[in-house]
Amino acid sequence: MTNYHHFLTLKEVCFSYAGDREILSNINFSLPKAELLGIIGPNGSGKTTLLNVISGILKPDKGEVFLENQNLNHLSIEKIAKLISVVPQNTWVTFNFKAKEVVFMGRMPYISRIKGESLKDYEISREAMIKTHSLSLSENNIQEISGGERQRVFLAKALAQTPQLLLLDEFTSHLDLNYKYEMLNLLKNTLKGENLTIISTFHDLNLASIASDRLLLLNNGKIEKMGTPKEVLNEENLRKTYKAKPILINHPRFNVPQVIM
Amino acid sequence: MNKPLIKNTGYINWRKKLILILIVGSLTTLGVGIICLNFGVVSINPKDIISLLLNGTQDKTKSLIIWQLRAPRIVLGALTGAALSTVGGAFQGILRNPLADPYILGVSAGAALGACIGIALQYVTGYILASYLPVFAFIGAMLSLYLVYKSSKISYSANSTGLLLAGVAITFLFSALITVLLALSRRELHSMVFWLMGDLSTANWKKISIIILPVIIGSSMLFFSSLDLNALSLGEEEALHLGINTGKLRIRIFIIGSIVIATVVSFTGLIGFVGLIIPHIARLLVGPDHRIMIPIAAFLGGIFLILCDVLARILIAPTEIPIGAITAIIGAPLFIYLLRRKNK
Repeated sequence: MTNYHHFLTLKEVCFSYAGDREILSNINFSLPKAELLGIIGPNGSGKTTLLNVISGILKPDKGEVFLENQNLNHLSIEKIAKLISVVPQNTWVTFNFKAKEVVFMGRMPYISRIKGESLKDYEISREAMIKTHSLSLSENNIQEISGGERQRVFLAKALAQTPQLLLLDEFTSHLDLNYKYEMLNLLKNTLKGENLTIISTFHDLNLASIASDRLLLLNNGKIEKMGTPKEVLNEENLRKTYKAKPILINHPRFNVPQVIM
Repeated sequence: MNKPLIKNTGYINWRKKLILILIVGSLTTLGVGIICLNFGVVSINPKDIISLLLNGTQDKTKSLIIWQLRAPRIVLGALTGAALSTVGGAFQGILRNPLADPYILGVSAGAALGACIGIALQYVTGYILASYLPVFAFIGAMLSLYLVYKSSKISYSANSTGLLLAGVAITFLFSALITVLLALSRRELHSMVFWLMGDLSTANWKKISIIILPVIIGSSMLFFSSLDLNALSLGEEEALHLGINTGKLRIRIFIIGSIVIATVVSFTGLIGFVGLIIPHIARLLVGPDHRIMIPIAAFLGGIFLILCDVLARILIAPTEIPIGAITAIIGAPLFIYLLRRKNK
């Protein structure tokens, strides 16, 4: 039986692409509600694949993913779309929609194909744009704004989806310094106050350390270590996974470890 | 709290917009159609046409020219243009490729091979098969649909590339067979080439009664997938995250679109360029939202083809220019002009 206190549980999850080498092997962990989990690890360690397994678009070869005691394998993708939303790494859009139209697409799981959006869908989308400081972009064409602006629009879209679990794939990679902290603040405070659970992959260890309640360190598809940033970011773990010998210092404001070369 | 306002128009009122588009589009198409009744080898003055439309007329010849020759051609042109543009827009959507057209997934090559086989048999056997050519073409189109569907399933990729490659491969195969037929043919060459370039001159009400339902029902079905097509332009995975079964969506649109196209081209031959360019022009005019873009493209395509057909008839009358050549000669500069204006 799954533990009732846990919002998300992964049990012995293994994954490989079309019978190739295993990308994820025997992943076990669980996550309480309203926590921000950062997934870190070197390139090719399986961060994005893990995110895709949790979001339900990749089916694990073995093992199960439970969301509030529902087995994700048994849910339709329409149902999953009401529970989980994703901000992808690649935010390119084929046709040149307006930013607000992209945000409205977050309401897709709730919209009747015949009736179209209601005023409520419209209000929710606008709230999401206000939260992510993307309202001023709403009339802009999505192909004509910067990568960082697109990420904020895509975050608004993901919030307009009103999920319980928000997955971010290297969300902060294109954001300016000021927006990085503003968005992290938004994620940490506002959203967690609303009982949202967040999982994000990070390329930047220092940002991961500041943002996350807990970190999950992946190495070759296996969990090397999971715990608070202080427990995970130490010399031994980093040497094992990144094959580097970094220096660790304490962040004076946030009191979490920071990695410098 | 001081919330900045964005205009509360457009997206929510898309149904009002749609009704407006349907009314204005139908009236414009009707108007263009009536005006185009004037043009042809025999000149009939507009007053006669109006009285003929309103009261009928005593003049048997004029009535015959208008009702049995010109009117069916205009209606067939409108339906064909609308079908090609709608399916072109939908295929560009599922393939996430602005270069896609209604013929890219192989159905046209199948129809063409079927028609060419029919024409060849006519000369070999001596039977007059002209009125059965649409049957040959349709069988060929369904064969290619089946082959493309099967080969896209074999290919491992679960995305649009698999379907696109299967379509391109089958098109090449069928085109090669057509080339062989063309090389072997003598007297029938002219008929084959004309069929391949598209032709509305054999229009009659019976043909229209056969294609009208598939075109209207099929296009409506494509239209009701508009929201899914919008979401698909965020990418395959994003659409899945929004709860859209992209695999099923792609197959559904491929099959519906191919059947619509097969029905139309079986009667008209391969009129090119319309299905590629009209959806782009519609996007330039009203934006990429498929719920608005697809109906606009349908009307634009219909009107565009009616006008091209008039030119095909009168430019060097009494000889007809193949309509497929006109669509490209008019369409390409028009499109480049619109693109330039947009980029200024």
